[in-house]
Amino acid sequence: MLELEGLTRRFGPVVALDGLSFGVAAGRVTGFLGPNGAGKTTTMRAVFGLTDLDAGSVRWKGGTITAAERRRFGYMPEERGLYPSMLVRDQVEYLGRLHGLSPADAAEATAHWLEVLQVVDRATSKVESLSHGNQQRVQLAAALVHQPDLLVLDEPLAGLDPTGIDAIGRVLVERAQAGCCVLFSSHQLDLVEDLCEAVVIIDHGRLVAAGGVDELATGGTRRLAVRVEGDRDGAWARAVPGVRVSERKGSEVRLVLDEGVDSDAVLDAARRAGQVTEFVFTRRRLSEVFREAVAQ
Amino acid sequence: MRDVVYVLAAVLVVSVVVRRLRRRGASPGVPPAVRLWRSTVGRHRSAGGRASRRLLGDTGLVAAREVRERVRGRFFKVITLLLLVVVAAAVVVPTLRSSSRTHLSIGVVGPLAPSLREAVVRTAASGRVTATFVTEPSAADARAALRSGAVGLVVDHGSSLLVKTAGAATGTTAGARAIHSIATLLGVDGAFRAAGLSPAQAATVSHARPLPIKSLVSARRSNAATSTAVIGLILVFIMLTQYNTWTLMGVMEEKASRVVEVLLATIRPIQLLAGKVLGIGLLALVQAGLVVGVALVVADVVGSDLLVGTAPLVVVATLVWLVLGYVFYCWVYAAAGSMAERQDQVQSLVLPLSVPVIFGYIVALTSVQSTTPSLLVTVLAYLPPTAPFGMPVLVADGRATWWQFAIAVVISLAATVAVARLAAAVYRRAVLRTGRRVRLHELVATTR
Repeated sequence: MLELEGLTRRFGPVVALDGLSFGVAAGRVTGFLGPNGAGKTTTMRAVFGLTDLDAGSVRWKGGTITAAERRRFGYMPEERGLYPSMLVRDQVEYLGRLHGLSPADAAEATAHWLEVLQVVDRATSKVESLSHGNQQRVQLAAALVHQPDLLVLDEPLAGLDPTGIDAIGRVLVERAQAGCCVLFSSHQLDLVEDLCEAVVIIDHGRLVAAGGVDELATGGTRRLAVRVEGDRDGAWARAVPGVRVSERKGSEVRLVLDEGVDSDAVLDAARRAGQVTEFVFTRRRLSEVFREAVAQ
Repeated sequence: MRDVVYVLAAVLVVSVVVRRLRRRGASPGVPPAVRLWRSTVGRHRSAGGRASRRLLGDTGLVAAREVRERVRGRFFKVITLLLLVVVAAAVVVPTLRSSSRTHLSIGVVGPLAPSLREAVVRTAASGRVTATFVTEPSAADARAALRSGAVGLVVDHGSSLLVKTAGAATGTTAGARAIHSIATLLGVDGAFRAAGLSPAQAATVSHARPLPIKSLVSARRSNAATSTAVIGLILVFIMLTQYNTWTLMGVMEEKASRVVEVLLATIRPIQLLAGKVLGIGLLALVQAGLVVGVALVVADVVGSDLLVGTAPLVVVATLVWLVLGYVFYCWVYAAAGSMAERQDQVQSLVLPLSVPVIFGYIVALTSVQSTTPSLLVTVLAYLPPTAPFGMPVLVADGRATWWQFAIAVVISLAATVAVARLAAAVYRRAVLRTGRRVRLHELVATTR
C-alpha cells in the first residue's frame, strides 16, 4: 500500500503540489488523472525521491521507504529514459541488476518480458533504432524486469497503437492481479476506465476526486436516460419530486434520482408525457466524472 | 627492468589469447582441455562478479557498464590503436635514425695483424660503422675492387690507405669519419712500431681506454629522460582530455536521454557518479598501461634508451600523475556535464575547464625542451590542476626529491576530495533539472 500524505512542492511562485494526500491499494490498477500541469509527474517523482518536498511524506506499507524497498519499485518516467546506443537486451538486464537481480535472473527475466511485450526480435538492436512504440515496450520491460511490488508509470500509453495499448494494458492488469500496486497516469480517459478499478483525480496539486471507477461513475446515485416522443426539454421530469435533469441530448433526457425515489413512479410520469422509446439506468463516463471534478 | 618488460609482454599476449578463446565461445572443435579451462575461468568469473557486487555494489555495476559499453564502441578501439602506433613510432624512429649503421668493406693487401684488425673494427664501430675485411691478392686487384665498389677502402701492407674519390675520406658521412679514424689509428700504430714497441705492446697501447670525466655539476637531464617526458606530457594531455570529455559527455547523455531519472529512482546520485568516473578511470588506466607496456617492450626490442638512466622514473611519474590528474578533473567534468543536456550548452562549460589543462601542458612542454629550469613549472607542479604536467617535468629534470613528489601527491589528493564533494553536490542538484542549462548560482540559491 502506497500512501502520500500532505505532499507540498513549490517551484518559485508556482505551487506544484498543495497538500496532496491519497493512497494506492495493492492488487488493483489505479489511474492517476488530472489536467496538464496538475502535478501528476511531480507526485510520481516524489515517490522515488526524485524531487525534494517542501512538506509531506511518502509511505510504503505504513513506514518510510527504505533503499531496499525502493529497489522493489518499478518506474517509467514521462520522458522515458534509456541509453540510446545500448542494446535492448543489455539495457533491460542492466536495470534488472541495479534492482538487485543476479546476472542469471536478470537475463532470464529480460528474455521473459521482451517476449511478453513482443519485442524479443529486437533484443540485440540498439534502442535508438526502435520505433517509438517499441521503445515504450522496452521501457516497460525495464520497469517490470525485477517483478516490482509497486509500479508507477507516467503516461505509459501515450503514442501507442491499439496493439501496443492492448499489450501494455494486459500486462498492467495481470501485474495488479498478481498483487502489485499499480499507479499510472494518462489522458486517455476511456482507456483508464477500461483498465482501472480505481482512479485518483488531482488539479492544481490538490486531490479533487478518488475512489473506485464504479463508485465514481455512479456518484452514489441512480441515473436514468429517458426518451419521450414529442418531449425535448424534459419538462415532465421536473414535476417528479426527487428527480433532477442533469443533461439533455437531442430528445434524450438524463436524470439523477435522489435516494428513495421510485423509478416506477418516474416511468409512469414519462408515460403520461408521451410514448416512452428509451428508459435505461446509466452511469457517468469517466470523462464526465473528470470534467465535473476539475470544474469544481 | 628487462624482466618487468618481458612479464608485461607475457601478460599482454596471454590476455589477448584468453580474450580470443572466450570470444569463440561454444564453437565446435574446441579441444577438451580448453573447454575445461574455459569452464573454470567462467566459474571464477561469475564468482568474481558476485564479489565485485558485494564490494562495490551498485557503483561497481555502473562502472562495469561504462567499461563494457565503451570497450565495445569503435572509438575506444581506434583511439587505443592510434595511441599504440604513435607511441611505438615515437620510440622506434629515434633509434632508427641513430642506429642506422654504415657498412665499410676494407680490402687488405699484405699482412694486417689480428690485433690491428680488431682495433680497426672497434674504431669503425664507435662511429656506427660495421667494418669487414676482404683479403686482396694484389694491389691491382684491390684497385679493381675499389673501382667496382666492392670495397670502400684498401689497406696496403698496413702502411698506406686508398679510397676511390678524395671526398670518401674527407666528408662528414659516418663512412668518411670512420676512414679518417682508421687512418689515424694505423698512423699511430705505425708510430708505435717505429718507436720500437712490439706488436703486443702496440696493441696494449691502442686498447687504452680514455679516463672517466667527472663534473662538479651533473647534466640537467639525459636526452632519454627529456624525450620520455615529452612523450609522457603529450600522452597525459591527450588522455586527460579524452577521458574528461568522456565523463562530461557520458553524464550529459544520461541527462539528455532522461535515463538518469530511471537510474536515480533506484540508486543514489553519488553511486551513479562514482560508478561512471570509476569505470572511465579504469579504462584510462588500462589504456595507459597498455601504451606504456607496449612502449617498454618496443623500446627493449629496438634497444631504445627509454629504459636508460632516469627515463623509467619519468615513465612511472607520468603514469602516477595521469591517474591523479584524471581523479582530480573527472569530478569537475562530471558536474559540468550534469548542468547541460545539449552539445551547444557544453561549449561554454568546457572552455573554462580546459584552460588549466592547456596552460599546464604548454608551460611544461616549453620547459622540458629548454635548458634553463623554470620557476613557473616548479610552482605549477604543486598546484593540483597543473601538477599532472609540472611534476613529471621536475622528475625528468631531477629537480624533485621523493618527499617533494609526495607533497604534491598529498596536495592533489586533498584538493580532489574537496572538489569531489563540491562536484557531487552540484551533480545531485543539477542532473535532474531539465529544459535549459543550469547555472551555478541557481544551484547555490535553491534546492533540487
